[in-house]
Amino acid sequence: MLNSAGKRFKPTKYIPVSTAATLLVGSTTLFFVFTCPWLTKAVSPALPLYNGVVFLFVLANFSMATFMDPGVYPRANEDEDKDDDFRAPLYKNVEVRGVQVRMKWCATCHFYRPPRCSHCSVCDNCVEDFDHHCPWVNNCIGRRNYRYFFLFLLSLSVHMVGVFSSGLLYVLHHRERLAELQTAVTMGVMCVSGLFLVPVVGLTGFHMVLVARGRTTNEQVTGKFRGGVNPFTRGCRGNVEYVLCSPLAPRYTVDLRKKPPVKIQPPFLRPDLSDCQIIIKVSDNGLHSTVISSKSKSSLNVLDETDTQPPLPPKADRYNQLKNQITATEESSLPGKIHPSTPAMYKFRPSFGTMPKVHYHATGEKIMMPDDPKTPAILEEGVRAHDYRSEPNLDLPEYGSPPLHRTFQSSPLQLDAYPASSHTLSLKQAHHLHQRATKGQLPALQPETLSSSPYKGVFSPGPLSNRNGSLSYDSLLNPSVSPAAIATELAAHPGLPSMGFHSPYLPTKMCHIRGPELKRQQQQQQQHQPVVVAAPGYSPLMQARGMGRHSPLSREREPSPVRYDNLSQTIMASIQERKELEEREKRQVIHGRPQTPAYGHDPGTFDSPGGYGPASACCPDGPRGSSVSRGPTPPAYGGSRDNLMGAGLGLYGQRTPVSRHATLGRAPRTSSSSLHTDHSSTSSSQGRPAFQEGLYRSPGHHPHSSPALPRSPSYTNQKLSYISALERTDSPRLGGPREAMMQGKMNGQMDCHAISQPPPPSPGRHAHKGVRKVTGVGGTTYEISV
Amino acid sequence: MATEFHNLQELRHSASLVNKVFVQRDYSEGTTCKFQTKFPSELESRVERTLFEETVKTLNNFYAEAEKIGAHSYLEACVACSTAYLIFLCMETRYEKVLKKIAKYIQEQNEKVYAPRGLLITDPIDRGMRVIEISIYEDRGSSGSSSASSSTSGSTAR
Repeated sequence: MLNSAGKRFKPTKYIPVSTAATLLVGSTTLFFVFTCPWLTKAVSPALPLYNGVVFLFVLANFSMATFMDPGVYPRANEDEDKDDDFRAPLYKNVEVRGVQVRMKWCATCHFYRPPRCSHCSVCDNCVEDFDHHCPWVNNCIGRRNYRYFFLFLLSLSVHMVGVFSSGLLYVLHHRERLAELQTAVTMGVMCVSGLFLVPVVGLTGFHMVLVARGRTTNEQVTGKFRGGVNPFTRGCRGNVEYVLCSPLAPRYTVDLRKKPPVKIQPPFLRPDLSDCQIIIKVSDNGLHSTVISSKSKSSLNVLDETDTQPPLPPKADRYNQLKNQITATEESSLPGKIHPSTPAMYKFRPSFGTMPKVHYHATGEKIMMPDDPKTPAILEEGVRAHDYRSEPNLDLPEYGSPPLHRTFQSSPLQLDAYPASSHTLSLKQAHHLHQRATKGQLPALQPETLSSSPYKGVFSPGPLSNRNGSLSYDSLLNPSVSPAAIATELAAHPGLPSMGFHSPYLPTKMCHIRGPELKRQQQQQQQHQPVVVAAPGYSPLMQARGMGRHSPLSREREPSPVRYDNLSQTIMASIQERKELEEREKRQVIHGRPQTPAYGHDPGTFDSPGGYGPASACCPDGPRGSSVSRGPTPPAYGGSRDNLMGAGLGLYGQRTPVSRHATLGRAPRTSSSSLHTDHSSTSSSQGRPAFQEGLYRSPGHHPHSSPALPRSPSYTNQKLSYISALERTDSPRLGGPREAMMQGKMNGQMDCHAISQPPPPSPGRHAHKGVRKVTGVGGTTYEISV
Repeated sequence: MATEFHNLQELRHSASLVNKVFVQRDYSEGTTCKFQTKFPSELESRVERTLFEETVKTLNNFYAEAEKIGAHSYLEACVACSTAYLIFLCMETRYEKVLKKIAKYIQEQNEKVYAPRGLLITDPIDRGMRVIEISIYEDRGSSGSSSASSSTSGSTAR
């Protein structure tokens, strides 16, 4: 008999409860009818009265246990469900009184089950404080009706004992009239009660122990707290108190309350933003740059407000655009808190069709920054995320025209929480993707267009630009992502150049602004491996290049708003390097040194240690001096591969200091040598200076150098090496596949010097044009005017 | 919810639902009902942090009061037991009383604080006490493009 869609009337599930009810009521009725009259007369009226009261109690509790809602959670609303459906992790961790408790995602109910909640397959509901599903009452036993169930068991045991003993009394007094109806019935009742007494009393005792320990049947049977600490216990007395005397919990399922609706009418008040003014500037010098200046109590410096940007679209349009973008961004994100200490069990969710909305604050909390700098920082990041979103749209042929309008579209003047959410989401998503990547669940990557395809593969289909953008952004902020992304990419493209690193291009100001945020991020995410952020290291370099090349333009810009004292070490290092580079360039220009790029011909120069012109040329004094100061120069750097390898080894061997010493001069060699080497145990400092020295010795090996590309190739290579070195040092586990790849590639390169083009670190480079495309680690492609 | 949204769309100066923020439960003290007071980033520019935190803290206090095991709950349990739970047909439990207080408080907060800021707080009981759902509305301008077909404006009757 079909009652409603999917709900069939199953008579079988009512058999136990009917049996139980029949037995209970029937036996007791018979007892009262046949045994009690004699008892009233012979013993006292109190005995049947007592039995009557107990029986009433049993019935009441039985009814409550049967008909009371155990604490069923209603299905999650669509909106809440949307962002959760997108989650990668099957489990979410939460800390209860210091104990990590796993919350499992319920696919039926579409939420993460609260602690102690479980899904009953019979009832097809998640039940709060799920104990078990009792067939005798045909109901789940949960938070709301556990007390009644427990009291039912207690009272039933008492009742059965009472009935049995009364019947025994009767029978003992009527031994000679056993064949009598009354006696026979009494004996029958005695048999029934005696028979069921044993399991009922056993169950009662079991539950008494559970109550004393503060556990549910589910937890006891599944052995959750075996040998562990039960975080839900309140002590024996507290537990008993809780079971017996706690207030009756409310029902969640029925909401017949008619609430008067609240009118929501614009215009809306906004909180006072006087202490954090946010201004977005978009400068157009061929670069996508969005600069946000924020004035806040934090150490984030204040930018001078200059209205250099062209008029921006009206606010309303921005809302729409923003909303769409944000929705898309949020939809693509994977909110979810992943505790690093928990063995991750990730469920790959292919259903990326639905777009989730934000948001899991728990995760966001992890990612977000402290209070005061948070607002501007997050907004900035969000804006950046939007920028990055727009950038992947630039394919190879498009690089020439930086669409400023896109920047405008994506950078909201109205800075509300959306950027933050997208940022947080993107970070979470990046984290999720990272973990997915490590789990190897990524689909196969198609090496179509190197610029974006690897990352397309990395990210599931959907708003790719969002992901790419956000991931590239995340690579800066969440360093742990970049190695994973790179590792997966490398793993998927064994034949491709190992340069999965695409440093996200950042405008100068962005780079500067990121500094403090990155620093904060790194402070906040200390549980993550302190993977040196390759991207920021690169971006300043790229920035340097951009700045150097467009020095007149850059001078027109405002001075960097970021104070250097609050930037992270790596950022500082990279900025220092950039400065050094600029200085070198200036010196070179002054001294008339040839600056030939070796971009297109780096492999050709592998046979000579100083193959990279600008690189080697550019680091005359500073690195050399520093290298000298670092340690003795190893011998035989006259172009031997061993030297390079040694240098690479040295580089690899380095951990944090690599970031500091990632000079341009070293970089080109590093890309090859570091790829080549696999051993991180070699002496670090010795190898490095040698490497640099070797480079310095042969600055003139630039087979084909087009002045059009003075520095970019070397920079990209440097960037590559930098990233590779850093990632090698910082994520050894991910270094394996990458190294292998690199090694193979390196070997190939070393063997055939005739490679006309180096394996592009970032695919899609056009060395012959005025704009270079650099793919960031997250797959976002940036344009760099050269 | 749907009805409410529809009404909002009918408003002349329409506000449309843009986003929903979910404030999750704080399980750090066990399964007692408590919500996280962490300020969601999406509300950064919509409502003052202090107001939000105060709302959540007040709600937490309400729930703590509802779930408190003390003299009142003892009495309630004894009375219920002794009347074979028939008392539940006549009286409402302590928890239900507090829930009514909470509903009133949320209504008042919505009217005074959140609706003027384009936000709407949903009673957690409607979500199974798992989340506090905060709906964010945006000003779409005086829209004729609203999908509402009804000509009545600002009809609040359900």
